[in-house]
Amino acid sequence: MTVSAQSQKTVDAYLAALRKQLRELMDEDVNDIVAEIRAHILDKTSGETPGDSVSSTLAALGTPEELAGRYRTEELLKRAQMSRSPAFILRSIFRWATLSVVGLLVFAISVVGYLVGGWLSILGVLKLINPHTTGLYGEFSEHTWSLSFSSGGQPAAGVHELLGWWLLPLGLILGPVLFFLTFRFDLWSVHRFWRPRAWR
Amino acid sequence: MQQNPESSEKWEVQLRKGSLELAILASLWEGRLYGLEILRHLETSSDLIVVEGTAYPLLNRLRALGLVETEWVESDSGHPRKYYRLTAAGRQRAMEMSGIWARFSASMNNLLAPLNREKSKPTGEEKP
Repeated sequence: MTVSAQSQKTVDAYLAALRKQLRELMDEDVNDIVAEIRAHILDKTSGETPGDSVSSTLAALGTPEELAGRYRTEELLKRAQMSRSPAFILRSIFRWATLSVVGLLVFAISVVGYLVGGWLSILGVLKLINPHTTGLYGEFSEHTWSLSFSSGGQPAAGVHELLGWWLLPLGLILGPVLFFLTFRFDLWSVHRFWRPRAWR
Repeated sequence: MQQNPESSEKWEVQLRKGSLELAILASLWEGRLYGLEILRHLETSSDLIVVEGTAYPLLNRLRALGLVETEWVESDSGHPRKYYRLTAAGRQRAMEMSGIWARFSASMNNLLAPLNREKSKPTGEEKP
């Protein structure tokens, strides 16, 4: 059994409206969803047991607005379910960074936050292991001005250790705190700014 | 006592909605199915009639959560169909949810036992 030209028009109009309503989702998702709904309509209205008319099939799916609204709701539910997963947050921010300036900014701040936080934590641990050779070293003279962290080797002459034991609390407390704050910042940014454009 | 059919119905809708996720995962336990097959499976092996406009968005979320994976398969009907299959995480989630369901319904049945005894009494013994 074939679908009449009139029905075909109705189905095409429905799918076009659905595509339009889904525009804030990712393109690949939209194509997938529309193709699936199309296959569903074809399966219900043609084939061996054509029990349903086009109009009743479309009615069971709801209007394009209603159906798209449910996809958006599920999208938000998904986000809520995954929102505590650091991997998901990072992936979202990475994707976001490719889409907008705000995303790029959040991404840049995150990278700095994680790097400095991780680096401080590592230095704190190294200070515990090699207490006498780990530190923040500075060299200040007329010609050179340098500041560096190092661990292991003997510091060069003329270089002063600046923090001493302060590196221990700084590294072991401030490092993880910075790491955690960066993660909270990411979480907050994603929830605050990264939303579907036309979410009602 | 005045009945309030509307709120009972609403409650049933919520109840069905809440269990749909498990019902869909369970229907995929034996193997891959496409959307309409899932709907028909739910209809024939339980009397869970699922509104189509609800099932497809939910399937999309289950996919995004990594509980099911999808593949397009060509068919004799002339158009490809999108098949769903449980992932390892999906199987694990279904098992967990099934355990929760069993515990929950057992405690509910305990709690409801007095009501059920009331129902099964002969009508003549009903209190005035």
